[in-house]
Amino acid sequence: MWATNLKVVGIVLGTLALYTLIANKIPQVQSEVPQTLTLGANVTPEQLVAAGEKVFNGIGGCPTCHGLGTRAPNLLTDEKGTGPIGARCGKREAGKSCKQYLYESLDNPTAFVVTGYQPIMPVMTRQLSPEQIWSVIAFLESQGGTVDVTGDDVAKAKQLTPGASPANSGGSPGGGAFAAGSTDPKAIIQAAGCLACHKLDGQGQVIAPDLTHVGARRDAESIRKKILDPASSIAKGYEKLAGIMPKTFGTMMSAAQLEALVQYLAGHK
Amino acid sequence: MTDGALLLQAAADSTRAYGEFPVIGARAFIWITAEVHLMFAAFVLGVPMFAVVTEAIGIFGGDERYDRLSKEFTRLLLVAYSATAIWGAMLVFGLSTLYPRFWAYLTAIFAPSMWAYAALFLVESFTLYLYYYGWDRWKKGRAKLGHWTLGILLNLWGTIVMFIANSWLTYMMSPPRDITPTTDPTTIKLWHAIANATWMPINVHRVIANVVFGGAIVGAYASYRFLAAQSDEERAHYDWMGYVGNFIAMSALIVLPFAGYWLGREIYQYDQSMGITMMGGFMSWLWVIQAFLIAVLFLTGNYYLWIGMGRIPGAERFRPYTKYLLIVLVLGAIVWGTPHTMIADSKELAAMGGSHHPFLGALGVMSAKNTAVNLMILTTFLSFLLYRRANTRPVVPWARGGTIIQGAMFALAAGVVLFYGIRGYFVEAIVRIGFSVYQVLAVLSCIVFVTVIDVLMARGAQSLGTIQWGKMPPRSQYALFILAVTFTWLMGLMGFARSGIRQYWHVWQVMQDTSKYAATPALGYASKMISLCVLIFLTLVAFVFWLGGLAEKSTFVASGERQGGGRHVGH
Repeated sequence: MWATNLKVVGIVLGTLALYTLIANKIPQVQSEVPQTLTLGANVTPEQLVAAGEKVFNGIGGCPTCHGLGTRAPNLLTDEKGTGPIGARCGKREAGKSCKQYLYESLDNPTAFVVTGYQPIMPVMTRQLSPEQIWSVIAFLESQGGTVDVTGDDVAKAKQLTPGASPANSGGSPGGGAFAAGSTDPKAIIQAAGCLACHKLDGQGQVIAPDLTHVGARRDAESIRKKILDPASSIAKGYEKLAGIMPKTFGTMMSAAQLEALVQYLAGHK
Repeated sequence: MTDGALLLQAAADSTRAYGEFPVIGARAFIWITAEVHLMFAAFVLGVPMFAVVTEAIGIFGGDERYDRLSKEFTRLLLVAYSATAIWGAMLVFGLSTLYPRFWAYLTAIFAPSMWAYAALFLVESFTLYLYYYGWDRWKKGRAKLGHWTLGILLNLWGTIVMFIANSWLTYMMSPPRDITPTTDPTTIKLWHAIANATWMPINVHRVIANVVFGGAIVGAYASYRFLAAQSDEERAHYDWMGYVGNFIAMSALIVLPFAGYWLGREIYQYDQSMGITMMGGFMSWLWVIQAFLIAVLFLTGNYYLWIGMGRIPGAERFRPYTKYLLIVLVLGAIVWGTPHTMIADSKELAAMGGSHHPFLGALGVMSAKNTAVNLMILTTFLSFLLYRRANTRPVVPWARGGTIIQGAMFALAAGVVLFYGIRGYFVEAIVRIGFSVYQVLAVLSCIVFVTVIDVLMARGAQSLGTIQWGKMPPRSQYALFILAVTFTWLMGLMGFARSGIRQYWHVWQVMQDTSKYAATPALGYASKMISLCVLIFLTLVAFVFWLGGLAEKSTFVASGERQGGGRHVGH
């Protein structure tokens, strides 16, 4: 009987050892916690690129889609004969420099969806701090191109969104700092990321109701109430999406911004 | 700020966020207690399902062997319940002392459901006591039906308890989208938190997985008793028990991937980035390991069946086919385990010559993997069918036609699976995803219709001889041990996947983990933790089995002592 017991124990331990061994032989990837990135005004391009590579492969989670060639365009390797991203970014949109194109792609990913891919990329400026965003841009530029990101870019971005560090705080800048305090409705819509779900004047997604003629369906009071309390009314046919729209827009915008946005939308008859 | 929020804020300000556990650390302590608790919970949920089904077969089929088998496993549940409760208490104490702020957050939302959980666990425990201790008292007629109803109630309470606990962990994964870091937890409606996006998929997946797990543990128990048996008769009894356990485990395993697919789809729909992290992000290698484990399960389960055909007169007709089944299974396993969406840095991508491996890349895509797994399921089902038919010859006049129709159904299902697998290479991803539904439907339809035909065809079938229960080589029993260990390890691995995709969040994008253990470890470390948990669990289960043997004799009754019941024949 002891021989049987020993065989059973051997089978169990051997099986466990085999599985553990295999799991330890494959590449080991740990999911790191995002670290605060502080870059001074005199930061060098090399420092920006090095920091950007860490963000790209770490907290940014970029290789999850970019690099596979199926979910999003390759960035570090050739994409359909156009070279890596640094070599092609300046040619993607007429009149836009590589730096501008990359920043806008991170800030409003649905603006430049490459043909053949789905608009699945999240708004990275809501997930990463200005330091992280600009260091990633520098890293991407370094992939076959010239790095022209400087400490000034980072400083300007920080001035526009003081205290913003979404990856660390999980919150938004809030108050008048939202959309750099602008009362331009288009800037507010851009900053709030409304077009990630709604369509307006031919731009944006059709996940949530089209806002192009929202003024014909709702008056200003109704629009205001909907922004402040999204659950107060659900458009017909969108019941399944109840609860998706964030409740935080009211606290993010100043009263003047909210009013400007409400009047702008109410005017869309 | 509401009163509730003020109270919570006050508690948060005065309470430390994290505690520390000596030597192994807080995370390892919670990991071990949660995992071992979960394994015991799966055991005490899976085995009653097994017990109530076998009791029903005993009642309605008039075969007392099943009734005795059912009682033998219910006896083991008594100690297992205590172990479940002890590990559960350790987990709760661990959470409240090592992660007090997070625990306060969860209780602020879920307190009423926690009270219901405790009350139901009490009711469930007393139902178990009644079920076990009333076994011999309520043995005949209506009383027996009443006793069986207790078994059903036991399963009902257990399932509700599991659903409640599932709501807590799925809330951590997929909190409703209107809940943000600034949401006061006391204002969150309980049902709103419970009915989150992944709650029902996890519920369904775990119910099926518990059946698999229960069957596998039963199989391992029977195999040990087989190896330790003192007589041919006792060996025959435990051979039969091992077969039943393996049959249940493998039957439920065939359905499990479909439930897993539903869960995966819900995760993607809830948050695309979470789904991508799970399948293509830092966890991508995990699925290669999972593919390897499932390949082991399919191969070992089929191997056990093929060896089992050696004890069935008439099975020699089908033995030549097993090598073809083996080829399909091995090829399927190789394709399923082919890596595709691996995280790679620029140097690795350059070394590979692009984003995909020039040859293996084509096999690593979901079109190939879905085709492989569906063909493996079909092959395993065919193994079962051959085993089932081995010692019979159908006598119904339409037997030949029925067999041809069955063969045509297999061919049609395999054809549909292959067609959509190949077509998937030529369409957009969004279209390709829909193809897997057609593949699954083809396989399920084949399984259902072929089984119905087979049952009808078996009516009055001519027997080619009695199954020689007990005439099995020892290696077949070791295969059952490998199955049990692999199922348990797989459960640990999938638990890591489910929990790990939250990464550094206690509650996804609502409550961040700021402890020193916030980083999600790599698979190497995780595998060591999983193996440790499996070892603890199996050691304790062995102790439970030993205790069960000390307390009472097994259900095996030698022929000289037996008052009723027949020989071990049939399936």
